[in-house]
Amino acid sequence: MVGRARARANDSDASKMKIYVKTFAGATLLVLAGCASFSKDGGFDKVAELTKERTGQIAKWQRTPSDADSVQRRTSEILGEPLTADRAVELALLNNPGLQASYADLGIAESDLVRAGRLANPSFSFGRLSGGGVTEIDRSILFNILGLLTMPLAQEVEQRRFEQAQYQAASSTVALAADTRKAFFGAVASQDLVRYYERVKEAADASNELARRMAEAGNFNKLSQMREQSFHADAISQLARAQHQAIADRERLVRLLGLPGGPNAFRLPERLPDLPKEPMQPKDAEQTAMDKRLDVQLAKRRSEASAKALGLTQATRWVNVLQLGYANKSQTGEARENGYDIELELPLFDFGTTRTARAEAIYMQSMQRASEVALNAQSEVRETYAAYRTAYDLARHYRDEVVPLKKRISDENLLRYNGMLISVFELLADAREQITSITAYIDALRDYWIAETNLQTALTGQSPGRSPGQN
Amino acid sequence: MNNRRNFLRTAGATALGTGAVSRIGAASLPEAPVQPSPATQPPLVPKTGRPYNPVVTLNGWSLPWRMKGGVKEFHLVAEPVVRELAPGMNANLWGYNGTSVGPTIEAVEGDRVRIFLTNRLPEPTSIHWHGMLLPSGMDGVTGLTQPAIAPGKTFVYEFVLQKPGTFMYHPHADETLQIAMGMMGMFIVHPKEPDMFKVDRDFVFLLAAYDIDPGAATPRVNTMLDFNLWTWNSRVFPGIDPLVARTGDRVRIRVGNLTMTNHPMHLHGHHFEVTGTDGGWVPPSARWPEVTTDVAVGQMRAFEFNASAGDWAFHCHKSHHTMNAMGHDVPTMLGVDGRGVAEKITRLIPDYMHMGDRGMHDMTQMQMPLPDNTLPMMTGTGPFGAIGMGGMFSVVKVRDNQKPGDYRDPGWFKHPAGTVAREYTGELPDAVRGRAPTAGSRAVNARKPTTHQGHQGNEGHGGHGAHSGHEGH
Repeated sequence: MVGRARARANDSDASKMKIYVKTFAGATLLVLAGCASFSKDGGFDKVAELTKERTGQIAKWQRTPSDADSVQRRTSEILGEPLTADRAVELALLNNPGLQASYADLGIAESDLVRAGRLANPSFSFGRLSGGGVTEIDRSILFNILGLLTMPLAQEVEQRRFEQAQYQAASSTVALAADTRKAFFGAVASQDLVRYYERVKEAADASNELARRMAEAGNFNKLSQMREQSFHADAISQLARAQHQAIADRERLVRLLGLPGGPNAFRLPERLPDLPKEPMQPKDAEQTAMDKRLDVQLAKRRSEASAKALGLTQATRWVNVLQLGYANKSQTGEARENGYDIELELPLFDFGTTRTARAEAIYMQSMQRASEVALNAQSEVRETYAAYRTAYDLARHYRDEVVPLKKRISDENLLRYNGMLISVFELLADAREQITSITAYIDALRDYWIAETNLQTALTGQSPGRSPGQN
Repeated sequence: MNNRRNFLRTAGATALGTGAVSRIGAASLPEAPVQPSPATQPPLVPKTGRPYNPVVTLNGWSLPWRMKGGVKEFHLVAEPVVRELAPGMNANLWGYNGTSVGPTIEAVEGDRVRIFLTNRLPEPTSIHWHGMLLPSGMDGVTGLTQPAIAPGKTFVYEFVLQKPGTFMYHPHADETLQIAMGMMGMFIVHPKEPDMFKVDRDFVFLLAAYDIDPGAATPRVNTMLDFNLWTWNSRVFPGIDPLVARTGDRVRIRVGNLTMTNHPMHLHGHHFEVTGTDGGWVPPSARWPEVTTDVAVGQMRAFEFNASAGDWAFHCHKSHHTMNAMGHDVPTMLGVDGRGVAEKITRLIPDYMHMGDRGMHDMTQMQMPLPDNTLPMMTGTGPFGAIGMGGMFSVVKVRDNQKPGDYRDPGWFKHPAGTVAREYTGELPDAVRGRAPTAGSRAVNARKPTTHQGHQGNEGHGGHGAHSGHEGH
């Protein structure tokens, strides 16, 4: 339906004006009645809250020059010292351009929301037809009244979409934080390893040079000398690979941090942080995942959105989507035999009153999707926790048993060398082996920190293996 | 009565561990003296039985006996012992009465001896009397002449000593292992007349070899040839006591060899005569002079000399037997300059010291930390500095004023003036170096025939024309 005000060409100007003003006033009232406006934070506050809960860091969306200034100030402050894992995450959240781009999705979603809350602009048309001495002037103004009527529903739908966009943004942030942490540990570890491979090469240098002098003096035959030379050649290749790995890992971190200064903009600490005294024992890990994990929450919200969109209102009972297969068999309010439940509950609606089987199918689909996400989350929590414990035990084993043992073996070998019971070549070969055990420890320690990050991600964010935005 | 015998029998069983006492009864077993000290004990002068001039067992002792009805009763106990090979190293060995090697048994020709052997080893054993003339059943070969002596049991050997001489005793059950663990001892049969073969000082010892990994204490019993610790009476230098004599003394040294190889025993400063083997005494006209006498596996050599004053080295002349455990796989570092490399290694291994490029004498000067329970390869200090020896090495110390019967170490020899090698401190003329032969002038140009045709006629021999170079000889 359209409203139309038609004015004849012969009417007086004053009456024309009156009609225009009235129409215009009425239109304004209608516009103001259904007006939605942009929020001050662009919906980002919720994102920041979700992120802070899960990463401990504050995300920032740079929209104004003063935002950019404060980010730059904070960045310079952080870069003044060697990075830590937390500072690296903070840097990435402030500077990563990809993340800022995904926040823009939020802005797009919000403008969609706002648009849904506003009437479409009325359209004016003006026509003038003249011929045969008669002039016809057509003026019309069209309002989208249907749009006005459906506005509440459209607004709800857009509101849901906006909320999903918020969760999406939070997800991307959390994923970036996790990736940055892992990249940070990788970069520190490979830089540390270069030092140790340099020492292995030094040991090989020494025995190679000695072997060369031995061959010159006639004390070694060619085979003995070439044997030492081949250890030297191996050590050089190992060092070259380690050096490249350090460069590659550092560049990976550079990409995630989004800093313009390249790999030299920041300083990495010399070694990884130490193992904690005790491993984490997160209580009720699986339930925490159900409550906190973003992809689970998103699936829940989607299910709710789908219900709203389908106009479903009457919930008959709540089911635990983790046991969706048994939904028909289980009874409301009864506990299972073997102890506590891990549950993610969604309402099951009374489908009898709706007239569409389609609604039922769509809603059940969203329930099944939620179930899938929840079951995967549960399993991932278990897997990452097992990986975490194993990584902790291995790193501790290396630190407390393997490395000290190899050191004591080296000490005993030195005593043997003092007694002229072994040669300097055997001593150096043993030194190489001892240093290699330390590199194994550094690898184990890095794997521990990565496993810890994966565990935190699996508990509160999303699947640790997936790339951001893949929800 | 019955009860008492039973009581004694069971009491004896508990006293001697698992297993019953022999038929003779617990009360009648002579005491088994134990003497664990590794120092040379004073000679055991006989208080009962026929008189004799006792011997001195280097780093060992003689077994006392109990006289019973005219029979000398000895009691040997075969047991695991801990023996100090030299200060700084202890070895887990097997021996007799607290020592490896076991105590020397001394008796006189014609004596009836009764020797009790109690086995406290974990496996059966026996004793074979090496070189002695006795009834076949007393010979001690398990399975052949007697059953093995099980752990806990005591056996009796009884025979009459028929000939004077120097003999040994050792197990004849699981022989390789038990001898590799150090079970052996000397058996001296003195002549009826104490003045026959009389000498002023009579030293005895056995040669034994062990393979002990540096840092470990128990010998490896499966070793066939690769022993690393060569001992006299289970002691190595610097743990071997000196052989002390007075100037002009007639000194006899009796050496028995129960290692797996021969040992040429070399004495500095004297010409000696070999006067006895374990087959008997060598008649004076047949005694052959030596400076080094080879003692093969299972042999005994006794040699005599007149002692002249001084500190005389006495050692096995196989030079690796005068070193303690060595690293046989260590390559020669002679002539390899360590500069530039040693610093690199020290950065990795802070306590590293470059050694061996100027020989091994440095090792004797330095006191470097070694693995536990390991002796330095070359060690020992004399009045003029480090001696740098190990293994089968000792010193015969002869002094003008050494009292007869006094076997204590008299300290270092005070050399008369002008009799010590000294450094020349005068002017040295420039050394004239001989012309080193150049390779070209003496090279033999052998032109080998490339085809079979080259042999025909004299053409093939033309290639030897460069022989003219040889006339330079």
